[in-house]
Amino acid sequence: MKPILIIAEVMDGCIRPVTWELIAAARVIRDLIQTNRAGGKRKAAQIAVIVPAQDPVPLAREISSLTKVDVLALKVPTLVAYTSEAYKECLAPLIQELAPSHILVAHTSQGRDFAPGLAIRLNAASISGVNQIRSDGDGLLYSRPGMNNTRNMVLRPEPGFPLVLTLTPGIFLARPCQVKDPGAVMVREISFGPKQPVRMVHQKIARRENEHQALKKAHTIVAAGRGIGERSNLESVARFAKYFSASALGASRPLVDMGWIGYDHQVGITGASVAPRLYIACGISGSSQHLAGMKGSDWVVSINKHPEAPICSHADVCIVADVIDFIRVFLEQEDALQGKI
Amino acid sequence: MKILVCIKQGSEDGEISRFDEFALEEALVLKDRFKARVDVITAGPESAVAVIRRAFGMGADQGIHIVTRDSGFVSAFVTASYLAAAAEKGNYDLIFTGIMSQDMMQGQTGPMLAELLGLPCATGVVKNYLTPALGLVPIEREMENGCRDCLDIRLPAVLTIQAGSLLPRYPSLSNMLAAGKKSITTLAQGDLFPVPVKPKEVLITIECPEKTRAGLGLEGTLLDQARQLKAFLQEKDLV
Ligand SMILES: Cc1cc2nc3c(=O)[nH]c(=O)nc-3n(C[C@H](O)[C@H](O)[C@H](O)COP(=O)(O)OP(=O)(O)OC[C@H]3O[C@@H](n4cnc5c(N)ncnc54)[C@H](O)[C@@H]3O)c2cc1C
Ligand SMILES: Nc1ncnc2c1ncn2[C@@H]1O[C@H](COP(=O)(O)O)[C@@H](O)[C@H]1O
Repeated sequence: MKPILIIAEVMDGCIRPVTWELIAAARVIRDLIQTNRAGGKRKAAQIAVIVPAQDPVPLAREISSLTKVDVLALKVPTLVAYTSEAYKECLAPLIQELAPSHILVAHTSQGRDFAPGLAIRLNAASISGVNQIRSDGDGLLYSRPGMNNTRNMVLRPEPGFPLVLTLTPGIFLARPCQVKDPGAVMVREISFGPKQPVRMVHQKIARRENEHQALKKAHTIVAAGRGIGERSNLESVARFAKYFSASALGASRPLVDMGWIGYDHQVGITGASVAPRLYIACGISGSSQHLAGMKGSDWVVSINKHPEAPICSHADVCIVADVIDFIRVFLEQEDALQGKI
Repeated sequence: MKILVCIKQGSEDGEISRFDEFALEEALVLKDRFKARVDVITAGPESAVAVIRRAFGMGADQGIHIVTRDSGFVSAFVTASYLAAAAEKGNYDLIFTGIMSQDMMQGQTGPMLAELLGLPCATGVVKNYLTPALGLVPIEREMENGCRDCLDIRLPAVLTIQAGSLLPRYPSLSNMLAAGKKSITTLAQGDLFPVPVKPKEVLITIECPEKTRAGLGLEGTLLDQARQLKAFLQEKDLV
């Protein structure tokens, strides 16, 4: 059986939690392969994690002690920080040597950056943004979003090639805990540069701190998307937000990009991750990048003109209407009620 | 300085896929600043030539159209192979793609193209500080949580451009009038690859995403719906 390899996500000298999800997904793949095989008597595929880093051994130990999985510490003395060039250069020969069936990478800013090029080097099939893995008797099927997030495309890799997968975070959940019998830790050293012509030089990671405080504290977030149509309509969304106590105004990314509202308000993978009691999406389509930032909300309400918008599959209540008209009518009705009291 | 921008047809005829418009805008800003030449390339059916015309209207200089017959799911590897074969002899200093296409959403075509051409590649680029004299492009690429990865890349290089604060310009009348004189190189899929490039993934089916919440639809007039929403909020103790 060919092994299933996982590339751990390392940042700032730490293992990123998405790595546990990759291990959980590898177990799903291993079990599906096992049940798919006639008889199912042969040994299950081995799972191993590769940790590329300047000083990978402590990280490798951490992984093995929390998961029982074998870990290959890939020591690259010059690897100060991630670059796609260094990763591809160091990983490709090692992976070729191990001849795996699957290579699992996180669908994050780092994984999306090096996985497709790595797949080309390995002459591998490559499926990005996988959100479901299942089997149909003929083999494993991988589902991923397409068509502006309105559909999932279910793909089957051609046999005979290794398969590089980038897995959407937040799907294959895992809770690592100390185990009595940790996996083995092996060490391998590889040099990168200065002999090779290095074409990518990492400078620094620029950070923004303490942003999104208001969003994180809010009990209710009313968020505006491109469906509000015009910048001036932000006012009515803001008024709607004020109707709720302990509320904040959120936004999808395009509004921030257009300069309609500050980055402080952006919800999504490149903005804030929030989990308020109530999230009201106003004219937001429900892209996977936006959903990732708000799917933990207790209750989700969507106001969207189109009944087919992807957000409708991820909301508790769907109002199909022009968002500005709806907000006007809602607030008018509330004013009227207040008047009566 | 020669820049190639990979653009794909969007969901409507003649429209450029949304993220690719940002990539084109980024290139046109460099054209304005450094007198760079900006070419565009698209792989698609006959009708896809419309996106090249639109790019001319925005200010692009020349176009390459790879006429393909692929439909449904198109593997990023196949598209990247076409683009690489056509771009190889162009001596481009920079190649831009969008961060992902609207329909396939793979985010793979750019980094695969780079690998096929043997060029360095950075994805999710939100800022570039191109210095042609040094043969270098310092860039910032977006990471999670508002962090940015800052690095210097040697030219030639491939960058996938993330939407940012630059808004794509509209086609201008003067550019549209000049468009007639600009040349479009048309290549057939079969000219580039007499033996078709085989995808390594095949589409089995297309499904509606699973519902993660009930998606209760409200009925009636706006006022009816407003009342139902109020009732829902009260029932769940959300107001
Ligand atoms: C790497 C990466 C990171 C990203 N990070 C983020 C992120 O952090 N956050 C984020 O939000 N996005 C992010 N995006 C962008 C994301 O892919 C989508 O483009 C974005 O979320 C779409 O925003 P939207 O829903 O406001 O706009 P659209 O997708 O354009 O949707 C507008 C919606 O409004 C509806 N509508 C139109 N008119 C009306 C009306 N009158 N009344 C009511 N509804 C109406 C439409 O039916 C549509 O559903 C990222 C993308 C990438 C590639
Ligand atoms: N058929 C195509 N023609 C030209 N460029 C393309 C094509 N398909 C993809 N691209 C480019 O590659 C990027 C990523 O596409 P994808 O890998 O499909 O998400 C797009 O934003 C385009 O810049």
